Parts: sequence; C-alpha cells; structure tokens
Amino acid sequence: MGNNRKWIQIFILLVILVIGGITLGSALFRDHSVPGTGDKAPEFKVAGLDGQTHRLSDWRGKPVVLNFWATYCEPCRNEMPALQKQMDKWADSGLVVIGMNVGEGQVTVRSFIEQYKVKFPIYMDPDDAIRKEYGVLNYPTTFFIKPDGSIHLIKVGEMTETFIEQTITGMVGR
Amino acid sequence: MFENTKCECGHQNPPETVLCESCGKPLLDEGDQTPLEMRYDGVARRSQKANPNPIDLVWNFFSSVKIAVYLIVITLLGSTLGTIYPQENTFVNLDPSTYYKENYGTLGHLYYLLGLSHTYESWWFILLLLMIGTSLVICSLDRVLPLYRALSKQQIRKHLSFILRQKASFADELPADYRDNPSAWVEAAASRLRKKGYKVYKDANGTALLAEKHRFSRWGPYINHIGLIIFLLAVLMRSIPGWHMDQYIAFPEGQPVKIPKTSYYLLNEKFTVDYYQEEEMSEEFREKGQAVPKIYETQAVLFRCTENCDNPVAEPILEEVHRHNIIVNKPLDYKGLLAYQFDYRENPVLRSVHASLKDKKTGEAFGSFDLSMTDPKPAYSVGPYNLELKGYYPDFQLDANGRPVSASRDPNAPAFIFLIKGPGLAAEGEVYMYFPRQIDKERFRQDEINGALGAKLEIGVRSMEDVQISAYTSYLNVRVDRAMPYIWTGAAISMIGLIMGFYWQHRRIWLRMDGITLSLGAHTNKNWFGLRKECADLLNQTGYAVEAKSLDKGGKSS
Repeated sequence: MGNNRKWIQIFILLVILVIGGITLGSALFRDHSVPGTGDKAPEFKVAGLDGQTHRLSDWRGKPVVLNFWATYCEPCRNEMPALQKQMDKWADSGLVVIGMNVGEGQVTVRSFIEQYKVKFPIYMDPDDAIRKEYGVLNYPTTFFIKPDGSIHLIKVGEMTETFIEQTITGMVGR
Repeated sequence: MFENTKCECGHQNPPETVLCESCGKPLLDEGDQTPLEMRYDGVARRSQKANPNPIDLVWNFFSSVKIAVYLIVITLLGSTLGTIYPQENTFVNLDPSTYYKENYGTLGHLYYLLGLSHTYESWWFILLLLMIGTSLVICSLDRVLPLYRALSKQQIRKHLSFILRQKASFADELPADYRDNPSAWVEAAASRLRKKGYKVYKDANGTALLAEKHRFSRWGPYINHIGLIIFLLAVLMRSIPGWHMDQYIAFPEGQPVKIPKTSYYLLNEKFTVDYYQEEEMSEEFREKGQAVPKIYETQAVLFRCTENCDNPVAEPILEEVHRHNIIVNKPLDYKGLLAYQFDYRENPVLRSVHASLKDKKTGEAFGSFDLSMTDPKPAYSVGPYNLELKGYYPDFQLDANGRPVSASRDPNAPAFIFLIKGPGLAAEGEVYMYFPRQIDKERFRQDEINGALGAKLEIGVRSMEDVQISAYTSYLNVRVDRAMPYIWTGAAISMIGLIMGFYWQHRRIWLRMDGITLSLGAHTNKNWFGLRKECADLLNQTGYAVEAKSLDKGGKSS
C-alpha cells in the first residue's frame, strides 16, 4: 500500500511536470516579438521580379543586405543608387543585396527599377506577410544579415553610401 | 520516530489520525469534552506522514489549502496588473517598444519593460495557473481518497465519547415501555429514520445503529475540482499550434485577403453601414444631430486554398467553402473559424475598370479589357492593337525633378502609361497615358500629354457600370478557439459539483445502547438546525420529550 501510494505520487508529479514544462516552454519561447540584432533572420519564400521562387536560405553562407522598400518612399528612392554601388563593389566577397518591395504591383516595380537602373534582385511581398514577420513599420528598413543567417544590424531610415560600406565592413570582418 | 497509533478497539491507524478510523474514539485529546473536529471524519490526510522525503515535501506543499488560497490571491492580484494599460494583442498594428512610452509616458515604458503589456502570456502568470492546477489535483487527492475509505467502511457501533462529543448529541435512559427490550426501540427508530430517507445500518445484536443520507454531497467539492482542472487544461491547450488564434484583419471590398497561418481566404463582397433615419430616433438623439449606425454588415465569402497555396510564383486556386453576412454578434462560423465584425472605414477607391479602346473621331470601339488598380497585368490585346503597360502609378504625382512618382500604394489617383502598337501607329509603338478618374484626367491634362495619339485613340469607360469601386474597408476579428468545448465541459462539471455540495447535506446519526441508556450523536456538514429538528422529532416520536435546541452542544458552527 505504502509503496503503491508513493508511485502514484511520483506519477502525478511527473504528469504535472511534463504538462507544466510544455506549456511554460511554449510560453517562454513563443516568438511574439519581432527579430532583433543577433536573432536569426526569419526564413521566407517569395516570388522575385524574375518570376522565380526565392528563399532567404538560398543565400546561406553569404552576407545579405535585405532592404524593405516601396516606390512611393522618397528615402528608399534616394538610397537605391548607393545600394547598387555597394552591391557592385562587394560582389567579389559574395555580398547579396535584396530589395524587398512591399505591397506593390509588378508593373509599378518594374518601371521603377528600369528608371533607377537597379540591378540587384527584387523580391515581392504582395500581402505584407514578410514585412510583418520582420516587424518592419517604416520604409526603408534594412537588415544586414551575416553569412550564418543571424542579424548583424537593423537600420531604419535612409542610409548614406558611407554607412552601408562601413556596416558591411563591420559585418564581413574586413 | 515511532508513534503508537493503535486504538483500544484494535484498529491500527495511520499517524496523525484524529479519530480512530474504526470506532471513532478521539486519539489526540482523550480527556476533553468539547465537540469533536469532524473534518474529513478525523482521518489522516495523505500528506500527513512521518519522515517526509523530498517528493513528500513537494506533495505536502501543494496539498495545503493555505498555499492554494495564497496562490489564488497572488493570481488575482497578478491578473489585475494586466488591466492597467491596454494589452499588446488588442492592437492591429503597433510597435510596443514605442507605443507605451508615447501614450503613457515613463510609467507606460516601465510597464512594457516589465512585460506587463502581455501579462496573460507571461511565464510567471502561466506558472501561477499551473501551480493552482497542481494544488487542485493534489489537495483533492490528498483528501478524497482517505475520506472515501473512511466513509465506505464505517463501523456502526461507535466509541461512546465519539457519540457524546458530537455537536448534536443526547443521552438518557430509555422510556419506561422500552426498558425491557432496548432493541425494540432501536427498531422503532430505524423505521422512522427510513421514512425520512435515511439509509439505516444496524449492528448484529441490534443495539447500535448508523443512519445516513445524502453522502454523495461530500463528493461535490471534488467533482467541482475535476471540472476546474479540465477548464485549466483546456486553457493551457490553447498554446498548442492551431488551437487558438485571435487577430484583427482589414478586408477591402472585392479582394480576397489571406488569413495568416491558415489556408483560408476571406472576401468582403460588400460592406453596408445603415444609419437610423431621423424619424426613428428619440428626441435626445435628434437634438445631438449625430448619425447613429443601425447595422454594420459584411457580406463575406470564405475560400479555401486548394492549390499553389505556398507557391509565391503562381496564383493560389481558391474554392468557395462558406458564405455569410456578418453583423455585430453574428459572426461567420466555419469549422471553428470565426469572423466577427469589429470596425470599418469609408475610403472609396477605384478597384478596377472595364476600359475600352475607341477611335476618337468615329467613336468606334475596338474592344475592351479589364484594368486592375492593385496589380495590373503587363500586356493587353484589344482588337488590332497591342497595349503594353510600361508604368503604373497608383497615386500619381510629379516629384521635385518633375519625374512621375506614386505618393502611396493606394489607388487614389491611378495613372497608367501604355505603349500602344497597331495599325496607323509608329512601328516602335506610341505612348499613351491614361487616368481613369475624370478629375485626374483634367488635373494632369491627359489630352495634352498624349498629343497627336490622343486625337486618334481614346481609352475610357462607357458608363459607371464599367467602374468597380471599393467603398469600404471592413475590419474583422478572426478567431479560432478549439479549446472552447472543453472549457464549457469543465465549467458544466464544475457547476454540477457546486450544486451537489450546495443543495444537499451529508447527515449521519449514530445510536448505541449501553444497558438501558441510549446515546445519540449526529453530524452534518451544514444546516445543523434541520438535523437537530430531525433528531428531536425522532426522539419525541419514540417516547422522549426533548426540544431540538437542547441537543445543541455548542462548538463552532461551520
């Protein structure tokens, strides 16, 4: 009887521990917050302007500059040439610049990049899903992502070419 | 440490037993004459044992009702913290790191930093709920099993001091006519008690009796606890992925919107807001001159994505699964997916036009095509002409350098730049600019821009029927709560337990004869008045003359 009782006690405490662990764990690790510096950049799967499907993980092992932008955003328009120059400059080290257009149509975006002579890949986020995932509230917002997929720096607002260059230098460690 | 816990009747009791489990003899305060503590019938609770090991210590902690009360009080206080400022999840779109500071100052920022802006999802709040649940389980088990054992094997002939120390008791010699045959009195009492609905047990020689009714009411609190545990578990199950969702989404008219993290799309076909007419309003409202809405209605169509759902390159294939007109408190409900009317905004914008290409001079139409204001296609073929869309500006403007730009993504002033190729035009095509809205056409001088081409061809709509306008954006609260049936089940079981405990009382009457002396003791968990009256009636009907009040032996009434 006494032994039996002990096992019942242990069993009940174990059940409580398991249920408690699962719920507490999920409460602790639920990511209701947006990614910050040092966090892993959330994976995405989107259509590019080239009509192909693209994933962030395609660029694993390379430094990525992920720029959220829109054609109607003046600072975005202003920093486009600087981004393009830096893309060309760092091409040897494998740097990738991605322009994530938020919520605009293909025609609008296409005419824009022709006008601004943008060569880096443009991805489309038509229903704002990626924007929300990344917690972007203002344009432009730029994520500097290290080759291991973690976020080196988040910059909200227009960037100068010097800033981009220095940040990339800091990120790739050169 | 060993304690001699053997009663004089020969029964071996567990340590800390208050009343012998068998004969009911008080084991702790033998000399005393005050009414007995009858809680849990004097049996030892499980947790009361000598030399507790670490597991016992955890068990003992949670088995304490005092701890349970503290936990409940702390949880109550903790949950009030979540009501000081609005919680994060009540906003559609905000950055909590700045919102609280901007709106509520330093205190608000502190509130955010302490994590109180999501109190009910915080680890400490969930830990408190878990501890209450643990306490419920262990408190119940710790008491219900020993109590069940005690009540299911009650001895009929109780110790004299057990009977006389009941809060309602009586002792006297038998009435004269029964003194020759005490068991005849016991039999008479038994039949009267049976009539009152008691279950009567007599011992072998008929000189002791136990009468009992409504024992089931003792299980009420435990059934209530089972209900509460189911309730708590159901609340915790909400954290299983897909079990709980609560979000606010904007649905512009005429455009299916994906419900995040599901395979469903919802289309707001038409939103209606209807106001009360002046003659329908009361005098007071009329004086205020305010428009009072009568009904908000979203004609909603729910689609399920069947193909290309996760393929960003292809258009998802949608299948209509449900249709419902959502009004306040009448949500769309499809397999547990609920959509409630929450808010609306009036922002009339062009959605698409069915445009035609005409010969400006003759008015002859070459054909027509659909032109979307959200994501127009890059090419159209109309009669003998090919139209290539080179540019689209939803909110057309000229920037400081005179270059065309869009001021926003909303089609407030849509402008299209076509390259038209076809008969009578230059081989490389000619550029035609099209403003669907008449007001923009004049403001930006469409005819002057188009020049010679504008004199030959014209893109336009024939009538307002060719124009589709989204007048309203409807905001819906989309919810999934798969835990709800379990929450209701738990609540119902809990209610059954409460009713069992509230409306019935467990009454017991013990009798024993020692020669010609009758000793009667009675116990209930509430309504002592009723029990004393029942005992007095019994005695008065069997030859005694007693007043109900005289049976009261004091003690705290609970």
